[in-house]
Amino acid sequence: MPDDLLRDLRRTATDLGPAVMPVGTESLLRALTETARQLFGAAACSLALLTDDETELVFTTAAGQGADDVTGLRIPATQGIAGWVVSSGQPIAISDLASDPRFARNVAEQTGYVPQAILAVPVVSSRRMLGVMSLLDRDTRRPEADQDMRLLALFADQAAIALESVRAFGDLGRVLLTAVAEADSATPDLAAAARRIADEAPGADADLAALAATFATLARRGAPERRLARGVLEQVAAYVERRSPRTR
Amino acid sequence: MDVGITKEWAWGGATGAGIGVAVIDSGVDPGHPDVRSVERAIALSWDPDEEEVRYDEGPHEDLFGHGTACAGIIRRAAPECDIWSVRVLGERLSGKGVVFAAGLRWAIEQGARVINLSLSTGREDYYGLFHEIADEAFFAGAVLVCAVNNVPAPTYPGQFASVISVAAHDGTDPFTIDCNPTPPVEFGAPGIDIPVPWLNGRTIRSTGNSFAAPHVTGLVARLLSKHPHLTPYDVKTVLRAVADNARLPEQDHG
Repeated sequence: MPDDLLRDLRRTATDLGPAVMPVGTESLLRALTETARQLFGAAACSLALLTDDETELVFTTAAGQGADDVTGLRIPATQGIAGWVVSSGQPIAISDLASDPRFARNVAEQTGYVPQAILAVPVVSSRRMLGVMSLLDRDTRRPEADQDMRLLALFADQAAIALESVRAFGDLGRVLLTAVAEADSATPDLAAAARRIADEAPGADADLAALAATFATLARRGAPERRLARGVLEQVAAYVERRSPRTR
Repeated sequence: MDVGITKEWAWGGATGAGIGVAVIDSGVDPGHPDVRSVERAIALSWDPDEEEVRYDEGPHEDLFGHGTACAGIIRRAAPECDIWSVRVLGERLSGKGVVFAAGLRWAIEQGARVINLSLSTGREDYYGLFHEIADEAFFAGAVLVCAVNNVPAPTYPGQFASVISVAAHDGTDPFTIDCNPTPPVEFGAPGIDIPVPWLNGRTIRSTGNSFAAPHVTGLVARLLSKHPHLTPYDVKTVLRAVADNARLPEQDHG
């Protein structure tokens, strides 16, 4: 199979991946944090994910006290308790946070809620560190509360599975060619070419991916919405085509 | 198991003096009253431009508080051991597996007798590298004490048979350890809601397997200061013999 064909296959798959991505990952993650918050009798539960360059943690999902303020908050990936968890891969619980006045002031400024206790576990797939899941002020008088660290790790695993599946669709081209390379050991040339092309190109174009995902959302609503979206897109494309000579 | 090994035999009257104990972590604050002194300090980091590990020997601060916690716990059982702070965590996440491996190798090459690892990696790519290093430690006579993770998937090097893997139990006595009849987790030590030293000279109450491991590290340092010729293999045998759930009450005089 010529390299050009593999490249085309990769690009097509990468562009289409977001369009066939399973829906509802965000609501699943929201449900996970809210379920954990209620199950552990906690004031809040949050999920913070590492950025691609691993320099920051972004709070993507939160439930409970301070949830609105914490969502979207970015912190350096090498600081504080969350930073420790993603750096070491170890879970940690601290039960007297508020005794540190500096900590209390920093957190209060950022989220408006100062916890007494935190339990934080890594969100990790078999391939990489993804982020950290934290519970604030859980009810430690519940029966079996001594198992909380292990239990929260199970929630974190669920989050990791959902996140990895989204990532796979977002980068479908690379995933597909890597699969070809791994499956096709009988023809080493093809396997090597597939692996090389899987690695060499960048991931999905973020704008195209978002467009494909939006289109997929519309398409799932039904045929009229599909026709509407297609009509609008064709009009826009025609308009851009007409005006483009003037912008050159 | 009655093999004539008691806590009194193992470490009675010992202090850990003369034993180099490497804390592979986020750095250690030598000024914390529970730590008192750090004999050697080196900070390793990944240089993304040169694509190599940088070694900076000399005093450094603890970037999280965790290394100081481990050093303070080690002092509880081995008040006179030599603490070596090998900082591998905290500057950046990229390259951290390589930096972690380099720090571990440095400690082995410098002759540390006990090495405390409160971190681990689950990445399959590192399986071979850490297996090699665990073997190097074993044959160099360095005891690797690893905090196990709570996740069901294997993590390295805690998973390997030549290291001592530790999880938290709910005791508080630093001289009380349990052995686990169903490995790979082999020992239990205090690590649930215990006071630990932290940044700025403070003490906090914390929970984690990463606080259980340094209890065992301290006990191993204490044991080796009294019986310096024990190999990592012998050390594990002694720990099993003195584990509370493996002894009869009348056996214990330590």
